[in-house]
Amino acid sequence: MPSFSLTLLTSIAAGFVGAMSGMGGGVVLIPVLTFLGLPIKKAIAISIVSIIATSSGSASAYVRDHLTNLKVGMFLEMFTIVGALVGAGVTVAVPQRWLFLAFGLVLMASWVVLLDRQKEEWRPPPAQDAFSRWLELEGSYPDQALGRTVDYKATHAAAGASMMFGAGFIAGLLGIGAGALKVLIHDLVMGLPPKVSTTTSNLIIGVTALAGTSVFLAHGLIDPGLAAPIILGVLGGSFLGTRLLVRLRNEAVRRFFLLVLAVLGLEMLWRGLRGGA
Amino acid sequence: MIAMDILVGFILLIGVLVCAAFLMAGILWQWIATGSPGLHYTLAGTNLFHFWVTELRQLAAGELRPTLLINLGIALLMMTPYVRVLASTVYFALAERNLKYTLFTGFVLAVLTYSLFLR
Repeated sequence: MPSFSLTLLTSIAAGFVGAMSGMGGGVVLIPVLTFLGLPIKKAIAISIVSIIATSSGSASAYVRDHLTNLKVGMFLEMFTIVGALVGAGVTVAVPQRWLFLAFGLVLMASWVVLLDRQKEEWRPPPAQDAFSRWLELEGSYPDQALGRTVDYKATHAAAGASMMFGAGFIAGLLGIGAGALKVLIHDLVMGLPPKVSTTTSNLIIGVTALAGTSVFLAHGLIDPGLAAPIILGVLGGSFLGTRLLVRLRNEAVRRFFLLVLAVLGLEMLWRGLRGGA
Repeated sequence: MIAMDILVGFILLIGVLVCAAFLMAGILWQWIATGSPGLHYTLAGTNLFHFWVTELRQLAAGELRPTLLINLGIALLMMTPYVRVLASTVYFALAERNLKYTLFTGFVLAVLTYSLFLR
């Protein structure tokens, strides 16, 4: 068992890096906890509890700033929570090494996405399909950079929903927020403006994590004494990370995070190939 | 929807702050009482509602301990998104009178309730 101070420091660092990169704390926290000797299933369970805290904390601010689209969030939640229940059920049942391999693969896939990411101007989708209109998936948000309110309409709700099941599955399986995946679905498939997509995915992450947590709690995988400093550390670290994000240059953050992701991803894959020890 | 934004934001914020306060209090108490802030104990497989009943019973019996504070913090954290969904369902049903979204949030509420009763 890792010591209290080491656990706390690790969690602060994970929350900090997670918030700065927009990937969430889990992708850093879980590999590090396993290096410190925690079984991967316990690391996954504790990480997903801490995600409830970080996502609720930041979602509360975004919702009050009217950036989050609650209808988009609540429609998509139906799919992510079912995905998370299935994913967490798989985690409980499979041998450790498969989880190391899956984690490594997801990290490497995120690496590719992050490497390739181009900053493009958001363009509204050309038309809204009938199903998305029926779902009332539209809204407006105050854009401070533009100094005006931006109206938008989301589209491809059916495709977005089925992909959200997959995002929920990965979140439950690996104990991560899978926020990057959710943002990608919002941006590319549903055509939401970036600010709305990141903040809405944040709202969804909280309930999705709760669904996963319920499975791990039922299987006795949550160690509350270890979870307490981790929750506090990740919360504190992500609070600092969000504050600093405004000041640091984006490119520097991205390069640093690419390096971290590559190292952690390769390490997890290697451990999976060696048999999950 | 503005009222709903404020309601949801408020629930999430209060949930996280109260949880953090309980966890911090538990750790500090342990630290002062034993000279070390670390605690290790496991929870046997349980569900959230059973977890609440056990803890509240201990609380009622006056058995306040660091572990109880930490358990309460974690239980409160788990209640936060749940209460958010519950409040949204009520809001869509009574304030917005939006049947579609009452059903959607009601579905999420039902699945979460089922999973939190799992054992």
